Amino acid sequence: MDSDRRRFIKVVGVTGLAGLAGCGGGPSESTATEGDGGSDDETDEPEMTEGMTETPGDVETTEAMTEADPTQVGMVYATGGLGDGSFNDQAQQGLFQAEEEYDIAYQEAQPDDVAQFGDFQQQFAQSSDPDYDLVCCIGFLQTDALTGTAADYPEQNFMLVDSVVDADNVASYTFAEHEGSFLVGQMAGLLTTRDFSAGAGETTGDSTNVGFVGGVESDLIRKFEAGFTAGVTYADEDVDVITNYVGDFNEPSGGNEAAQAMYDSGADIVYHAAGNTGTGVFRAAQDRGRFAIGVDRDQSVTKSSFQDVIVASMVKRVDTAVYSSIENVVNDEFQGGSVVSLGLEEDGVGIVYGQQLGSEIPDDVTGPVADSRQAIIDGEISVPTDPDDV
Amino acid sequence: MSARERFRRILDRLLAASGTERALISLASLVLAIAVGTVIILVAGRMTTCETAAFWLTHPRPLGVPELFRVGFCYDPVTVYDRLFLGALDDPLSGNWSPLDGQFAVTLRETTVLVFTGLSVALAFRAGVFNIGTQGQMVVGALATALAVLWVAPLFSGVVGTLVLVPFGLLVGAVGGGLYGAVPGALKAYADANEVITTIMLNFIATGIVLYLVSEVFKDPDSLANQTVSLPDYALFPVVLFGEQFGVSVLALLVALAAVVAVYYLLEHTPFGYDIRASGLQPAAAEYGGVDAARTVVASMTLSGALGGLAGAVYVLMILGNFQTGVPAYGFDGITVAILAGNNPLGVTVAAFLFGVLKSGTTVVQFATDVPPQLVGVLRGLIILFVAMPEFFRLLGRRIAGPERESEREATVATDGGHDTEHRAPETRDGSGGGPRR
Repeated sequence: MDSDRRRFIKVVGVTGLAGLAGCGGGPSESTATEGDGGSDDETDEPEMTEGMTETPGDVETTEAMTEADPTQVGMVYATGGLGDGSFNDQAQQGLFQAEEEYDIAYQEAQPDDVAQFGDFQQQFAQSSDPDYDLVCCIGFLQTDALTGTAADYPEQNFMLVDSVVDADNVASYTFAEHEGSFLVGQMAGLLTTRDFSAGAGETTGDSTNVGFVGGVESDLIRKFEAGFTAGVTYADEDVDVITNYVGDFNEPSGGNEAAQAMYDSGADIVYHAAGNTGTGVFRAAQDRGRFAIGVDRDQSVTKSSFQDVIVASMVKRVDTAVYSSIENVVNDEFQGGSVVSLGLEEDGVGIVYGQQLGSEIPDDVTGPVADSRQAIIDGEISVPTDPDDV
Repeated sequence: MSARERFRRILDRLLAASGTERALISLASLVLAIAVGTVIILVAGRMTTCETAAFWLTHPRPLGVPELFRVGFCYDPVTVYDRLFLGALDDPLSGNWSPLDGQFAVTLRETTVLVFTGLSVALAFRAGVFNIGTQGQMVVGALATALAVLWVAPLFSGVVGTLVLVPFGLLVGAVGGGLYGAVPGALKAYADANEVITTIMLNFIATGIVLYLVSEVFKDPDSLANQTVSLPDYALFPVVLFGEQFGVSVLALLVALAAVVAVYYLLEHTPFGYDIRASGLQPAAAEYGGVDAARTVVASMTLSGALGGLAGAVYVLMILGNFQTGVPAYGFDGITVAILAGNNPLGVTVAAFLFGVLKSGTTVVQFATDVPPQLVGVLRGLIILFVAMPEFFRLLGRRIAGPERESEREATVATDGGHDTEHRAPETRDGSGGGPRR
């Protein structure tokens, strides 16, 4: 029995090691064993530089500083983390874009809860190896933590998305979500009153309502609702908007139920501002043969299995904010203390028609939407930010 | 020997293990967890792709033997575990240890809250009640503290404010959490409702009601987030020793340790503690011996809830400085802490510290390496699983092995001159059911 055990260990050890060596991925330096490294998102894995794996405070830092020092960027994402197919992933896109065009190195942190925002911000601010040139804080929940951290580390540059911290070392970026939502609202209002059929969905001309599914109710998400409702009303005063807040950004089943109830009560099109909860909205649209509108990114691309029901998406270019803040730091033009508001005019928000369905939307819908876009930019239409003001 | 018999013998062996042996078993489990985790890190490091290897594995090359193979890995297990443990302690081995101004502060911060939630769960467990609702009790306590302190704060200022408001806030938190804990306790005692189900449901109710209150009634109008107005600085735990930015206060840690001693004393040295333990071990026998079962359940759930509420109060007064929805899952972590500690209040301190190290170390690992946070979560889970398993089997063994073996063991302890309070306590009760205390 004892020799059996020994042989077992030996066999497991040898096959294990061989198996490890044969695995598809691994560092590309190890020539012979290099394979095709699994799916696409895995290749997005951050590039490893020696400096990053070194322990802070270690003396052997010289070899890490190769060539000209790259600009060091730290990312603190919103809770929910990468892979949400909308907000955080969009921010990461900006980072990738900056990486392509400039010599930057970055490190990413994904907090689980609000108490961790401060921890990560501090770790980046405190680090001297590497010394971070910019720390990007994604999401309005980081506001309070950043107010403290920015005051504690006045030499560190920060950027904040979706909220404002009034400090000389923080560049704040906010978005006019209501403006973009107005456009998708107008489109929904125009489509719901006619007979329109494309992909897996259809609208019936006699229905007079559309739906809005929100994540957790907050002033930010209410901006989406306000713009959408205003847009719908602008298109047709007789169309009503049914609203439901699920209470969670990561609960597709809740989104599914909310949207099904809306479709069953006659809504043709449902817009969501609910992160991953919105996946349930798309599924409900497919089940009921109706349409949905995506948010933050072109979701007919990021959630391509639902592209036959996603007529359009309200894109919020968080990537633009991240990219331009990094660009500013690289060019030594960091705009500390400034608040950059990205609206329709700056292409910070906008409407993107679905990959599959976009071409089937009639011109007498897209035309007025394009006119409204210009009218909002010119100040002829003013979009409310609170649903109570619609 | 049948497998069943062998299993029983292992359980018996675990039951008979002395304190030192249990510590050694835990240490060995920790090492084993790290070994298994290392393999997982290496495998994961082969499944992803990167440009530069973080870790090379090769065979030893004595006397200039040529290198036959060399395998590169994307993740370095040594760095991961180094950061997970030493990073959380601010590198005590590096020579210039400055524990007051770095990650160690975060570790202690997590530990402080976890001590309270761990105690909360452990106390209920000892009474034979599974309180899964510590999270909800913590949320209620946290909101109660924030609102009460906000309401009273304008009446005070300066040092007097701190001296009055911090104890006041803790008290309100404890009362709020305690009342919320009493609800499932009463439901179990008088309506025979399963406390596991009621406490889980009450967690959702707490979260929902609190979200409504904070977003509709008590919301800070200047903030996008669902949170209350910030409390004034003098109403918060004063920062001693540690840097202000870490949100840790030695005073709060002292309160936590005081709570540990208090719960230990309560359980081991008071008649009420004896009732709790007796109900937990043998509810029928306890009732026959004169313990008012319903009252004990309600009282222990109330105390357990109060400890959860204290965790919430500390979270508000030490970490956040206001109340914000989305309270981290300290309450659920408390369940793990209690099991790790074998439901021993003194052990809770150690278990909470281990858990605090793991939580705080996770952020350091994420910061210092490219290992994805999900993988670090797996490693953390492995450590907890491996360390908790022997304790879990001990608890199981106590049930299976039966009371007669238990008493054998206790008897040997007593003749050793060990703590014999458990045997003395029944005599003071002289079977009348009332006991001298009422």
